[in-house]
Amino acid sequence: MSADAQDEPRGKHGRAPDVLRVGGWLPMREYLQNDEVDFAIVGTGAGGATLACRLAEKGFKVVAFDAGAWWRPLEEFASDESHQKKLFWTDERLCDGEDPVKLGNNNSGKAVGGSMVHFAMVSLRFRPEWFKARSQLGYGVDWPLDWREMWHYYGIIEDALKISGPVNYPWGPDRGRYPYRAHELNAAALVLARGAEALGIGWTATPLATVSAPRGLAHPCAYRGFCVSGCSTNAKQSTLNVWIPRALKAGAEIRDLAMVGRVVVNDAGRCTGVEYFREGRWQFQRARNVVVAGYAIETPRLLLLSATSRFPNGLANSSGLVGKNFMVQSNQAVWGVMDQEIRSYKGPPSLAITEHWNYNDKKDFFGGYSYMSQGPLPVVWALTETRRGLWGDALLKDMQHYNHYVGLKMVGETMPQERNCITLADEKDDYGLPIARVTHSNCDNDRHMIQHALDFMETALAAGGAKDIWRETDDTCHLNGTARMGSDPQTSVVNADCRSWDIPNLWICDGSVFPTVGGVNPSLTIQAIAYRTADRIEALASRGEL
Amino acid sequence: MNPYTSRYPGYDVLNKRDTPSWDAITRKVIAQRMATPSEPGFLDIVRWRALEALCACIVPQAADRPQAPLAGMVDMRLQKNAGDGFRYARLPPLREAWLTGLHALDEESKARHELPFASLERSAQNALLSQMQHGELTSAHWKGMDAQLFFTQRVLPDVCGAYYSHPYAWNEIGFGGPANPRGYVRMYYDRRDPWEAVEAKPGKERQAMEKNRRVR
Amino acid sequence: MAMTLSRQTWTGVACALAGVAAVAAISRRRKTERLLHVETSRAFNRSSALLACSVLTDSAMEHYRGAFSNVAMYVPPAVATFSLLAGFHGGADRTPSTHAVRHAIYWSAALTGLAGTGFHLYNVMKRPGGWSWQNLFYAAPLGAPTALLLSGALGAAAERLRNQPAHEPRLLGMPAGKALGLLSGIGLAGTAGEAALLHFRGSFQHKAMYAPVSVPPAASALLLHASLAKPQPRWLARAMLQLSWLVGWVGTALHVRGVARHHGGWRNWSQNLFNGPPVPAPPSFSALALAGLAALRLREGERQ
Repeated sequence: MSADAQDEPRGKHGRAPDVLRVGGWLPMREYLQNDEVDFAIVGTGAGGATLACRLAEKGFKVVAFDAGAWWRPLEEFASDESHQKKLFWTDERLCDGEDPVKLGNNNSGKAVGGSMVHFAMVSLRFRPEWFKARSQLGYGVDWPLDWREMWHYYGIIEDALKISGPVNYPWGPDRGRYPYRAHELNAAALVLARGAEALGIGWTATPLATVSAPRGLAHPCAYRGFCVSGCSTNAKQSTLNVWIPRALKAGAEIRDLAMVGRVVVNDAGRCTGVEYFREGRWQFQRARNVVVAGYAIETPRLLLLSATSRFPNGLANSSGLVGKNFMVQSNQAVWGVMDQEIRSYKGPPSLAITEHWNYNDKKDFFGGYSYMSQGPLPVVWALTETRRGLWGDALLKDMQHYNHYVGLKMVGETMPQERNCITLADEKDDYGLPIARVTHSNCDNDRHMIQHALDFMETALAAGGAKDIWRETDDTCHLNGTARMGSDPQTSVVNADCRSWDIPNLWICDGSVFPTVGGVNPSLTIQAIAYRTADRIEALASRGEL
Repeated sequence: MNPYTSRYPGYDVLNKRDTPSWDAITRKVIAQRMATPSEPGFLDIVRWRALEALCACIVPQAADRPQAPLAGMVDMRLQKNAGDGFRYARLPPLREAWLTGLHALDEESKARHELPFASLERSAQNALLSQMQHGELTSAHWKGMDAQLFFTQRVLPDVCGAYYSHPYAWNEIGFGGPANPRGYVRMYYDRRDPWEAVEAKPGKERQAMEKNRRVR
Repeated sequence: MAMTLSRQTWTGVACALAGVAAVAAISRRRKTERLLHVETSRAFNRSSALLACSVLTDSAMEHYRGAFSNVAMYVPPAVATFSLLAGFHGGADRTPSTHAVRHAIYWSAALTGLAGTGFHLYNVMKRPGGWSWQNLFYAAPLGAPTALLLSGALGAAAERLRNQPAHEPRLLGMPAGKALGLLSGIGLAGTAGEAALLHFRGSFQHKAMYAPVSVPPAASALLLHASLAKPQPRWLARAMLQLSWLVGWVGTALHVRGVARHHGGWRNWSQNLFNGPPVPAPPSFSALALAGLAALRLREGERQ
């Protein structure tokens, strides 16, 4: 094993880690800083890595930057929740508002590959109507994208990640067959299924980005259950072991441990490159186009940090909407004790799902939610218990039920609100840059949905056989919004192609561009948008419109 | 013996250290954690005593078994200044919060009992912590920090997070522990892989203990 | 570790021996003139033994995985053991009459297989989702007990055939070659069906996974045709049956490699033997191919 991934960059000297082989390396093309590359991409998560891969495959010169380390999963991912915090974005951020969010473990990654390195692999399509939420469902705003086009791109991403899903998906328009078969359900998933059948609603095995059979050098899932601490078998199909190796092969350069602190704009109002901190000093990379793909906190933070006299409110911010409409997803849960041993630490955490309330409109709130079975490991589980006030003997006593606990957890659509926003705080981080302040409050609709979900999930969990049910009332997951796409420069930051309205060679490509957030995990949609964006960039380039 | 510790009698996740359930990196990080010294590296000795007493209240470990070095683990975290990636805007940064909080806890204790927190009876300690939990501690020693928030957002997550990252805690709750390359096979209700903890059904504690000794 | 490793080795050795014995027996047959119907019976005894060997290992492993949660789960490995022994005994026996003990064992194996199918169907239906792909993949496998049923049926057919006259033997009211051809043809098709289901579960991730769902079905179709149509030499059917025999053994080797292909490889045998491809399964094809070849030989000499 070479030096620690967090101390020294590994994407150097014409080579990069081959994450699929112990100690292996892949050749990597490198660009000079004075080389004006076609695209400098900030962030290598679901948006940035997918886009980097596709642009490189189309022949563009691409350099992608990530503030985090380039890990080797086979050798460096311990089976340990605490140690694996090394995958999370643990730089300080301030959280306020009426319902301040928690960041770090379940929504922020700092590693090459971004949050997908520790995502729960749940790979779901949006409900088609959500792309026209305002005109068809009466809330939020419409997307400038057509669901049929997205359906096409979803299919491509599902194939690229060899999603393991059910043979027939119960909701929405036909989506073809998932490339790999669904995994065996664990006991926690069977409880969801029993509850759903008792209540007469649909359920299915969750489409997951972890292979149920070998794929190339990737082993099939070993059901070790440490998915959200990082997959050490490479069964998880992620940015790290799918898109980035493809990007390298196509000639992209990835710079790890490279924190971009500023997008540089010239007097003509066009980007000229990015300033980044690597190996102890600030450096500059020239680029014809800059793509910001830092997820819904770092993206607006970077745009705000890059303010100039010409753009005093930050880049791409003539609408004033950069950092606004920050949307999480409600992640409340119900937990109960079963007579049987459940041992939900085995297998991927969310093996079964129901999207019933995403597709059923007989409800007293806008938007939708799905809920999934759960498999918390001891630390996450203990913290969940402490949030309901348990400590001392009461905590130790209830922790004895660990192997008998089951839970259902929602992924609920919150409404876009301008008061929920990312701003710059006075405090500075280690790079000397102002840290992000994350302000979040639920609205009445959010609260109605949460109430509905908790009531429904409690009934479902009881019907599944659980006793002594209690509610976890304050969790959230995923980060979206803050640089929404739209058809009108007054009310959006980027257009349907993820191109900023204000600066034609500045693009934003991650969960930030979501105008609404839907009731499913966002990673598949982020990748689909990135894949589409690459196609659009190619089309624009061929017409000389870049 | 603590009655709550008997659900998986004889189970020791460390017995699996040399099986395919543990890989090299995991052996290394767990060994490091278990070797955390039970002495202050960041805190002064007064605060350290308060922290030790606090940890003993939050996670009362049975006296007749080896102890997880909780205070040491929290202190180690303070040495490394390892944050969570966020903090509530009403709380100061990690180190400052702990320095202020432990000092204030001692001061609150002295104000009530004329003794530092570590010298109180367990019941008095718990009563004081209960007050902290319910937002009833508001003296000037908190320097404007919300004591309730300190308790729920720092004390509980930091101490309990440390405990449940320790193998002794996994033994107690029957967690399978590290699992690489060997994961799991049996996913159904009431199914146990041969390398998982055996739960003692009432009256069958001795059989469970014998089986657990063979769990590898 | 040593225990299960040796069990595994033992299984491999046993299966290989059975195969070698079968081949050796076939080649020996050509040298000396024997009663054809008895030789066919012996081939069926041996085929039944190979199937039983596969069932014994597979059911022992799978029911161990299922923690023998139901006492009935001990029955198939036990019955398969008897069926295996009966097969060895019958394979060496040239007596032209039914052996009562073997016959009884075969009938009990067949009935156990039938009952097992019922149990497994109940297991599928009681899970959430009932009759669904998910449960066909992961609940008790419906096809597995059928292998025991087949082992019993092949053996019972062999025993009944021995009681027939050497000239124009008959079974189930039709020429014996025809009956045995139909039996092994249907068995081969059913086994291919199970392979298709499980290889679909494995997403046909390796090209070789198409072999057992193409070669044996073709062999089965040709054998069924040979059984139903006018008797005549069928070189293509024979060739496909020989190829199916090979598919069985190559499949076993590939499944061994497949276990190595799972995370941790053979070092992680206690997981990968169960989560990897089932090593004892593919020899079923070889067993049925042997039965099919013997049936075809008899069929080719029949008059109607």
